[in-house]
Amino acid sequence: MLMIRLENIQRRYVSDEVETTALRDIDLEVAAGEFLAIMGPSGCGKSTLLNTLGTVDRPTGGRYMFGDQDLAAMGEKDLAKFRGSTLGFVFQSFNLIDELTIEENVALGLAYRANGGDRRARVSAAMDKVGIAHRARHFPHQLSGGQQQRAAIARAIVGDPKLILADEPTGNLDTANGEQVMNILQALNDEGATIVMVTHSPSHADMARRRIDMLDGRIVASAMRSI
Amino acid sequence: MNRFALLSLYRSLTRHKLYAALNVGGLAVGIAVFLVLGLYARFETSYEKWLPRHDRIYVVQTAWNLPESPFNGAYPYTMGGLLDQMREDFPGTVGTRIRGGKNGGAVIRGGVAAPADVAQVDPQFFDVFDLPMVRGSGMALRQPANVLISKTLARQYFGTSDPIGQTLTIAMDKTANYRVAGIFRDLPKNSDYNISLLVPMPAAPPSEQWFHWGSTSLQTFLRFDTPEAARAFEQKLPSFVDRRALADMGKDASKIHQLKLLPLTRMHLEPAGSASASAKITVITLGIVGLLTLLVAIVNYVNLATARANLRAREVAMRKVLGADRLALVRQFLGEAMFTVGIAALIGLILAELSLPLVNAAGGLSLTIPYALVVPALVVLTLIVGLLAGFYPALLLSRFPAASVLASARSPGGGRVGTRVREGLVVLQFGLAIAFMVGTGVLVAQTRHVRQSDLGFQRDGLMVLLSTRDSLISSAQNRAVVSAIRDLPSVRTVAIGNNAVGGSGENNADNVPLPGVAGDGPSLRWIVTGPDFFKVYGTRLLAGRVFDDNHRDDDALSRQLEQGRNIVINRRAVSTLGFRSPEDAVGKTIGGNRPRTIIGVVEDMRFFSPREPTSASYYIYYREPERATTAVASIRFTGNPRETMDAVRAIWQRAVPQVPFEAETADTQLTKFYEADDRATRLFAIGAGLAVLIGCVGLWGLASYNTQMRIKEIGIRKTLGASSRDIARLLVGQFLRPVLLANLLAWPLAFVAMRTWLAGFDDRVALSPLFFIGGSLLATVIAVLTVLGQSLRASRAAPAWALRHE
Repeated sequence: MLMIRLENIQRRYVSDEVETTALRDIDLEVAAGEFLAIMGPSGCGKSTLLNTLGTVDRPTGGRYMFGDQDLAAMGEKDLAKFRGSTLGFVFQSFNLIDELTIEENVALGLAYRANGGDRRARVSAAMDKVGIAHRARHFPHQLSGGQQQRAAIARAIVGDPKLILADEPTGNLDTANGEQVMNILQALNDEGATIVMVTHSPSHADMARRRIDMLDGRIVASAMRSI
Repeated sequence: MNRFALLSLYRSLTRHKLYAALNVGGLAVGIAVFLVLGLYARFETSYEKWLPRHDRIYVVQTAWNLPESPFNGAYPYTMGGLLDQMREDFPGTVGTRIRGGKNGGAVIRGGVAAPADVAQVDPQFFDVFDLPMVRGSGMALRQPANVLISKTLARQYFGTSDPIGQTLTIAMDKTANYRVAGIFRDLPKNSDYNISLLVPMPAAPPSEQWFHWGSTSLQTFLRFDTPEAARAFEQKLPSFVDRRALADMGKDASKIHQLKLLPLTRMHLEPAGSASASAKITVITLGIVGLLTLLVAIVNYVNLATARANLRAREVAMRKVLGADRLALVRQFLGEAMFTVGIAALIGLILAELSLPLVNAAGGLSLTIPYALVVPALVVLTLIVGLLAGFYPALLLSRFPAASVLASARSPGGGRVGTRVREGLVVLQFGLAIAFMVGTGVLVAQTRHVRQSDLGFQRDGLMVLLSTRDSLISSAQNRAVVSAIRDLPSVRTVAIGNNAVGGSGENNADNVPLPGVAGDGPSLRWIVTGPDFFKVYGTRLLAGRVFDDNHRDDDALSRQLEQGRNIVINRRAVSTLGFRSPEDAVGKTIGGNRPRTIIGVVEDMRFFSPREPTSASYYIYYREPERATTAVASIRFTGNPRETMDAVRAIWQRAVPQVPFEAETADTQLTKFYEADDRATRLFAIGAGLAVLIGCVGLWGLASYNTQMRIKEIGIRKTLGASSRDIARLLVGQFLRPVLLANLLAWPLAFVAMRTWLAGFDDRVALSPLFFIGGSLLATVIAVLTVLGQSLRASRAAPAWALRHE
């Protein structure tokens, strides 16, 4: 079942005198349950594409259909609601809030949802899932990078999102911790989560079912992993 | 500071233009407010200090110890002949008297009298008041027909010709010619005395009451070379009073009538009677407002400067990596801080100089900046504030290990302690701002209240003609003038009495023994009224009747004291005399061997300051009130006050040109009582408004800093689905908490301050909770509006940008 369809997406940045094109004519479809990896050199537009998918960056042209919703036509308020109910983000630099404990950070994933259900149970379930429950009362700076990233994943999945967007989730981690994070993402995908991940690591890209390569704002190659 | 340090300071100021303008501007405004209010306080405390040897001059106060009397308290006036008796009993006493002063007499030129600030003084006046002379010497006062005049008057009367030796016709008690024997420099603004002509006190006592103990008619001053000598002299006074006042006041007169010595320089802020505390409180309050505004501005500046410095941690780290040592960094930060504070001080000085004309106009003052004093003070201030503002970043930031600052994605924010301190400072700032707002509300309400409150009579369309009290005018002339005024088309009624709104200069009180009660009875003010007196004032009758020519017994002049008199009392006298109600009082006779029968009760009339309690009073009736010693006419008119005033003046100058015309509307008379408080209110409101403004600048700066520190967090929250409104609420809420906490500080502060201030008024508004709620609401709204703008901007920013932002 098709979840996302991008048609002819453009993203241009205009600063004082320079105009930069980050995305050109992107056409992309993502099916529900897919695990898609985006690769490419620095500055090729990977993160912009991911941010566009996550509606935290708005394209300057083209159409973004999520299911039967036209996100390009949606207002800021509805987009915020959409993000809160549908998406989960994982960042390279974790982006945990320093003043909040791990538990509170994870709970933040439910803070902006109209119906969070039993929040406490969901938070501890999410923390259990990524193996971070024993660190619930700690502050981010008291944790290792791998633990922080797992906490960030817990925050991303606590709301049970339809789509998880991961921007180089292993970029700041050593190999062992990177493996651990990838295993968690793999397991989430196996349980049915749709994941789009930007990565520099070919081996991590290979864990995805499909992989696209980008260069200068375009998709230059697309490959399915043979199962 | 090296070139790069200066360059980076300049760039950081110009790059954050708004921030720099607000931060430096806020401090500058604070300094300006402090300077202006400081100058005001300095001016108010400088009265008579311009006089050579001012610290050796004492004014003799008459202190009445009569708790029940309207005249209880200390007054800077004495009996006319007091100094004569002191000289007899204490040889070597150095002193002088001042009789008259503002409009104390008249100068007659070309047959027309014009009021003039004449004062009669002792020949030894210059032994005490060593007024700086322009021509001649103070010795001239030893000749009875000499007059000394002020420089301005000399120019006004004689132009370019030589005044010395010229003749002036002066009327005071009687009309006489004087020879100008010298010119003294004009008395400065910081003097309570208005004197432009000095004439010697006549050798013969000018009034019958000259040696009557209990009377007061002039001011007596003594000079002592040391405070100890003054104290020693003061201790001899009770026995002196007992001895000298025996004939007039009976045994132990010093129990109720004391003589005290008040240093001359304290008199301005400790005036007579019930107003004594208020002048001082006003000056102190305004001084405190100035000080607190400066404090708010400093707190603000330091707060913002240190917060901003955190954003420069990366620069500091880089400088360290490049080889700057701690000392160099400390020097840089302190230098920067001093430099910016110096700029603020300079702008503050300019602001103060620019605003002084406005303040002088608003406050009826003539303040100037004494640069010799202000510039060194500002240098000291710059050093202190610069140290405060530069110390924290200089020390803290220069201590940060460079590597960790460079490696971390986040600037060190001073941690939780820093946040707490900053929040505490916001609480302090807003607490003061709210207290100021509450105070302004109360002050404005009170000053408005006294202008509108029910005085017991109609204040519009009322005029008082004071010239009729002059001793040079005969009863017949008086009657003729009043009858001519009565015939004016715009005049409805005219009444003569020995008192009027604003006072007539005569105040009388006596004790009224009560039947069946031992002792002298309570002391009541008594007022002579003529026909139509209550009609002119529109006084409300509460019980009984008012005076009436059909009742022949009403006329006090037609009866002996022992025969008894009919009186009308006011409402306050009802309880003072121990009656249950106005009706209860009517028909009762009081007064012992001088029986007085109450025929009616009228509403209290507030002829004087709203600060003074209305006194328990009784009115007596003269069918021919011109015969009262001090007869003044109250005029009820319709239409334009100026036209009526002109018409009355024309009548006066036709009938009695030799007596200066002196009349004022009730409105003008009353305004004199309100002026000082109006002025204080205006200055307070200006100071408070600016303090609130500075507080807002501070809040704005902190909000912008905090928002900047939280941009990443905002991005995270938005990716998690937070809407713009959620973010705005979060950011505004963060500042609302200290603002709400500030109320806890502001309310008790404002309550105590305002209750103290209002206590100085007899006629006052209630200290309603609405003032407090209003002040807090206003502060909250201002705070929300201040931080809302940036919160909204931050909340609307694209989250992708926010997340990239470091």
